Amino acid sequence: MGFFSKFRKKSPWILHYNTGGCNGCDIEILSALAPRYDIERFGMLNRGNPKQADILLVTGPVTKNCKDVLRRLYLEMAEPKVVVAMGACAHGGGIFRDFYHVENGVNNIIPVDVWIPGCAPRVEALIDGMVEAIEIWQQKSKEKEYLRDHENIIKTLGVEDDD
Amino acid sequence: MGKIVVPFGSQHVALPEPISFLFDTENEIITKVEAHIGYVHRGIEKAAITRFEYNQLPYLTARVCGLCSITHAGAVVHGIEKLMDIEVNKRIDYLRMLVVELDRIHSHMLANGHVAEVVGYENLFMQTFRAREDVMDVLERITGNRVQYDYQTIGGVARDIDLETAEFAKKKLKKLKENVLKVMEFHDSDYTFGLKTKGVGVISKEMAAKYNTAGPIARASGLETDVRAEFDYLPFEEVGYKMQTRKEGDVWARNMVRFDEVLNSIEMCENILDNLPQGEHQVKVKGRPKGETVVRVEAPRGECFYYLKASGKKVMDRVRIRVPTYANIPILKELFLGAKYSDAQAIVLSFDPCMSCTAR
Ligand code: SF4
Repeated sequence: MGFFSKFRKKSPWILHYNTGGCNGCDIEILSALAPRYDIERFGMLNRGNPKQADILLVTGPVTKNCKDVLRRLYLEMAEPKVVVAMGACAHGGGIFRDFYHVENGVNNIIPVDVWIPGCAPRVEALIDGMVEAIEIWQQKSKEKEYLRDHENIIKTLGVEDDD
Repeated sequence: MGKIVVPFGSQHVALPEPISFLFDTENEIITKVEAHIGYVHRGIEKAAITRFEYNQLPYLTARVCGLCSITHAGAVVHGIEKLMDIEVNKRIDYLRMLVVELDRIHSHMLANGHVAEVVGYENLFMQTFRAREDVMDVLERITGNRVQYDYQTIGGVARDIDLETAEFAKKKLKKLKENVLKVMEFHDSDYTFGLKTKGVGVISKEMAAKYNTAGPIARASGLETDVRAEFDYLPFEEVGYKMQTRKEGDVWARNMVRFDEVLNSIEMCENILDNLPQGEHQVKVKGRPKGETVVRVEAPRGECFYYLKASGKKVMDRVRIRVPTYANIPILKELFLGAKYSDAQAIVLSFDPCMSCTAR
């Protein structure tokens, strides 16, 4: 574990993006930041900058319009990174499955590590998922697993000829 | 100085919503705006007439928007009941009204907290959200969920309310009222907060009327428009509904109107809990919807309009949704012109934007 990762695990920063859900999950994320649940006690801050974020928290079924934004955010984040899909509609579309403008879930665009079920999930479930995400993140940074599957991920993301 | 183009969104530090603006700025002053609002379009209207049966529609339209889920579901339920000639009893009406008003409280508190955050008052944001948790508790106790309630069903509500819950709700509402008054007092008296919000993004009454604004944005400019007073879908007047307006039309006034409405809603909820009529919480339903109708309901953000058409089949023929946030986009664009770029965030958030319903 490098010098910085030691501190990073104490303060994982979140990047939150709504890819077309109903906002229900997003307001639960806001409540999680507020005093009652206060996920800042785990060192988590919601910062809108992908370059500094460790955890990508995605809600919504991924609409065709959001697809590229989501992919770009994922690629801009520094390794190791963890993706958390929150809410039923992030898991394969939920109620929005097979609508004409929907890509049926986050997993079709980027690889997901933690799933938080529910519509909308309770804030406790969200916190639980985030704690899980930190563990996975730690493991990833130890194993350097992200380097192993690189080729494959690049292929699924469809970015072979991006520079 | 030359022109600089500044993108704002779709994913941005200060903007939780997937909307994007392109600002042309000259010396910090915005000269041209381009808005893209289609990021979260899912095609709900199409799905409502192909994939879902009429009795599943309330669950689908609740997912148009998480903040005003209860108003969307309520509008569809009201429309379908009209088409099926179902008369609901007083108790159902009152329970529906209770949840609609509680939902309005939590939505307004969220919006106000957000404005406070972007003008640089993180502490005020936290205080507002702490107060908001009280009403979330009440909602959870009554409906069983914190955000998506799925409370209104065709011919009734999903569950009844018992005495204990009513007592609990009353206690929580009392506490909430105290907290809201405290936050309001701060809004009223703080000098720096005033500098950031007073006189920013002013909409005059004429402008508000001309651009057809809806909801608290119109009422903050002194325009008296509220569907609760105009369209008769639930007996709001019986429980002490009063229209709240302000004159200033700036960011500050929009916040204050929302707080006024929160106070009014709390009063209404207390009245409802005190005078809950007796009766069943569900009535018998039979037949299928037939004919066409329009429904107007007051969502937290303004008038929400539904057009429903059915011909006695399981699937509806047409479901048309017109949401208040969409109606408020044109004037938003107008407001940006000539404003400072640093005020852009406060202006956007004072409109309480919700892209999920704007694009549906
Ligand atoms: S999971 Fe449910 S509450 Fe969350 S964004 Fe999707 S539809 Fe909304």
